[in-house]
Amino acid sequence: MRHALFIAVVASAGCTEDVDPPWQLDHDRVIAVRSTPPRINSGETSELDALLGREGEPPIEADPEMAMVVSPTSLSTALTMRPTGWFVTAPGPTQLAAARAELMLAANEPVPLRIRVSFAYPAGTKTALKVIWLGEHLDNPTLDPITIDGMVRVTTAPINVDTVTDIRLSVPFDESYVVNWLTSAGNMHDFDLPNAYLRIEPEDPQSGTLGVVVRDALGGVAWRLWPLSAE
Amino acid sequence: MHRVGRVVVVVAATWIISSGVAFAQETPVPPADPPPADAPAVPEEDITVRGRVIDNLGRPIRKATVTVEGTFDEVLTDKDGFFEISAPLNATLIVSTDRNGVALATVTGPVLDEIVLMIDLATEEITISDRAPIVAPGSTTLDRDELQRLPGTGGDVVRALTAMPGVVNVQIPVGYSGVVIRGASPQDSKVLVDGFEIPILFHPFGFRAIIATEAVKNLTFIPGGFEVAYGRSSSGIVLLETRPGSENRSTQAEVSLVDGGLVAQGPLSKKTRYMFALRRSFIDFILPLVIPDTVDLSLTTVPQYWDGQLRVDHEVNSKWNLTASSIGTTDKFELFTTKDEDSKSKRFFTQTRFIRLTGAAKYHEGPWSAQLALSGMLSDLDAEVGLYQKLKVQTRLITPRVSVARTEEEAFGLKNVVWTGGVEAQIGHSTTELAIPLERREGEPFPPYDPKDTASKFKGTVWFPDYAAWTSIAADFDERFRVTTGLRADYFSRPDELVIAPRSELQIKLTPKTLTARFNGGFYSRPPEFQSEFLQKEVRSERSQQLTMGLEYTPFLGIRVQGSTYYTYRTQLITHNVDGTLGNNGRGESKGFELLAMLTNGTWFGWLGYSYSNSSRIDGPDAKPRLFDYDQPHSLNAALSWKKGHWQIGGRFQLYSGLPGTPIVGAEFDSDRNLHIPIPGEINSDRAPIHHQLDVRIDYTWKWGPAVLLAFLDVQNVYLDRSIVTYFYSYDYTQKSAFESLPLIPSIGLRGTL
Repeated sequence: MRHALFIAVVASAGCTEDVDPPWQLDHDRVIAVRSTPPRINSGETSELDALLGREGEPPIEADPEMAMVVSPTSLSTALTMRPTGWFVTAPGPTQLAAARAELMLAANEPVPLRIRVSFAYPAGTKTALKVIWLGEHLDNPTLDPITIDGMVRVTTAPINVDTVTDIRLSVPFDESYVVNWLTSAGNMHDFDLPNAYLRIEPEDPQSGTLGVVVRDALGGVAWRLWPLSAE
Repeated sequence: MHRVGRVVVVVAATWIISSGVAFAQETPVPPADPPPADAPAVPEEDITVRGRVIDNLGRPIRKATVTVEGTFDEVLTDKDGFFEISAPLNATLIVSTDRNGVALATVTGPVLDEIVLMIDLATEEITISDRAPIVAPGSTTLDRDELQRLPGTGGDVVRALTAMPGVVNVQIPVGYSGVVIRGASPQDSKVLVDGFEIPILFHPFGFRAIIATEAVKNLTFIPGGFEVAYGRSSSGIVLLETRPGSENRSTQAEVSLVDGGLVAQGPLSKKTRYMFALRRSFIDFILPLVIPDTVDLSLTTVPQYWDGQLRVDHEVNSKWNLTASSIGTTDKFELFTTKDEDSKSKRFFTQTRFIRLTGAAKYHEGPWSAQLALSGMLSDLDAEVGLYQKLKVQTRLITPRVSVARTEEEAFGLKNVVWTGGVEAQIGHSTTELAIPLERREGEPFPPYDPKDTASKFKGTVWFPDYAAWTSIAADFDERFRVTTGLRADYFSRPDELVIAPRSELQIKLTPKTLTARFNGGFYSRPPEFQSEFLQKEVRSERSQQLTMGLEYTPFLGIRVQGSTYYTYRTQLITHNVDGTLGNNGRGESKGFELLAMLTNGTWFGWLGYSYSNSSRIDGPDAKPRLFDYDQPHSLNAALSWKKGHWQIGGRFQLYSGLPGTPIVGAEFDSDRNLHIPIPGEINSDRAPIHHQLDVRIDYTWKWGPAVLLAFLDVQNVYLDRSIVTYFYSYDYTQKSAFESLPLIPSIGLRGTL
């Protein structure tokens, strides 16, 4: 446990000297996969997309290149590709009941549909797992109000901040939510807390992107990005 | 942004860099020269004088009479030739034995040069008796004075363990609170203080032992093949003996940047002596001052510890001696990886406490000796990570033990017959509450850090009464052959398991005085008591079968060369089943050899140790063989220390293999858990590079007024070799960063004798 504790401390701080920290947006990675909505009743449809970080470029929202059902395979037909992207349609109650039996779930328990999605990157494909819950309806969390540098930001309009100043960032979520503040300019402090701060030193990139991703405990996810520059 | 990895190095380095002052009323380093001319006048009051009587071959003389001239005050030297007596400065001591004649010595301070009594070399029969025989092939016993002559320990004698052939050495022993022997797992070996096990030997960062240097009498390292009186270990054993109080009252206070302590000892009555030691860390006061404000940390409780020992020895009569002792420590650490101390999700907390109380009665009359002991231990482990993960284990142990021995010079046609027997019970009760990720077992890749993962949950109490009995007999078959054979039976009640462990040894004197061969074989076991092993009743003990062959060569007094080769076969190793439960599916083996050459002749202390080891295991029926996590093929330690007059100068060269590691070949992102799941490569197929370093220690002793001062400088890794200890991966496993050994670790100390 003691060794594990040490590893946990290092891991939670998320960094050592020579690797990109987890708040760095200037890095090839899948930042989050979103299903809208994350939980659906029979007959409802959910759309898949993702937030992708890219080295040397701003992050983008993108549809998966590929997607496949990992489990339960009996519900693989729930996933379909359409011209506008990948969608999941919750099957009828009979199929859900069969899936519950396969997964040894109680009656009326939502069925987790585990999906693997993949995205093309210059250095190769990156994959991610996402669970869409079938049998009940819930929406993704709502982010507002977001406060940045003392101002409520309801749009994605560009943000200008001062250098060598602690720029306060805040979203109104308690610690049951997973909050990640991300940037490609400056250093992020307390990046995984609802209240974080950003500081841009003169030697840091003076422009980039600021982002926040919030996950709830039920599979919901939401994000927002702002162009960021320092002066 | 500052990196926590760097901070941990700062923590560790700062902890080591001790600059302290110690004042004592005794010191093991004698000032050879008279006091400096400018020393102030010293009042002619009695002081406690310590010295040692040796012959002109450097051997200690036992039971020499030491008398203060013009008085009736006299004492006898002990088995190591040491004595303590009260005398005024400049008084004359008369040292005599019937056999070796008389010598005179002048009291120049509380510690005297060695007093040499001449022997007649023409008629003297030289016997090798300066050191007790080693207890098993490959084992070593060092007393405190010898331990302190090994450079590179930072002034902590228990860390001299790292020089023992067979002990796995690591550059930064973070999270490493025990000892790893012959490439096995840390939990396979035991550390016993005054005969009873303690749960941890080092504080969390592994740099300081829980026992103060001045409270240690000697240290015995047994890498394997130990006798039937010891059990519950499938690898090796470390025995630490605390010092009984001296016949003269003395008090020592010590302060350093790392910790401060007090050691007091002396007589309570004519037949009762005490030793008391207390130590507290200071690093928690200092560390917050050296960590930059810009680091995202709140160190609410930087590593803070208390260590304490108490020992009382009472001589009831010529047959009975009583000893009561206690050892305990409390260790606390709490931090937030943020400046915001209200963010409980960023909190890391651990507290380890234990206290062991032991009462023992020793009996000796004629051929019989016996020991009755009752020991109890309370231990408390409390750890919390973030909002969801916690581990609380409170354990109470009580251990009654009876052991008996009888010796006969001759019986049944055999000579020097020694019979021993004993019984022991260890009644344990544990209250456990845990909510933690699935615990990592030996060889398993470190899982990604997920603060919400509580896959292992348990809340309840567990009883684990275990019982043991043993007997052995040893005898000389003739002048060359000595055989020891014994049997130990352990009953582990939790898994309802009886383990019978026969062990035997054959000693052959290849030459009458200098060369001995030893062949040792036996069965060993360790009960399921590590981490959550005892929560599953069906988990059985891990077993080992050990074979050792050793040679001991003592060409001259003060020189010993020993070598041993061993093979250990391990079975019933506890591993994870596919469903996450535990089972005894593993097996493995360790093989290698160890060499040790020692020189101890007063002025010179030399040490050359080398070990080669290979430890591998198979974790299940379909699993591939792999190395143990602590497999370390090569380990070399060479030390030389010279002591003359005011000076003691020593150096130690260390070279050892890096430890194996499992490469990560990829990762998949789990979006809902917001973490990357690593894809491990072949287990322990990588290895950190070889590390080597030179450590230097310089001691200088001088007299300053009524005080004798000793200053020392212990510098580890003087030529700044920085080798890679391990790698840390980025959160998505696409990048890795080398974690290097510390560049240079100085320890500075000053000790005063009043």
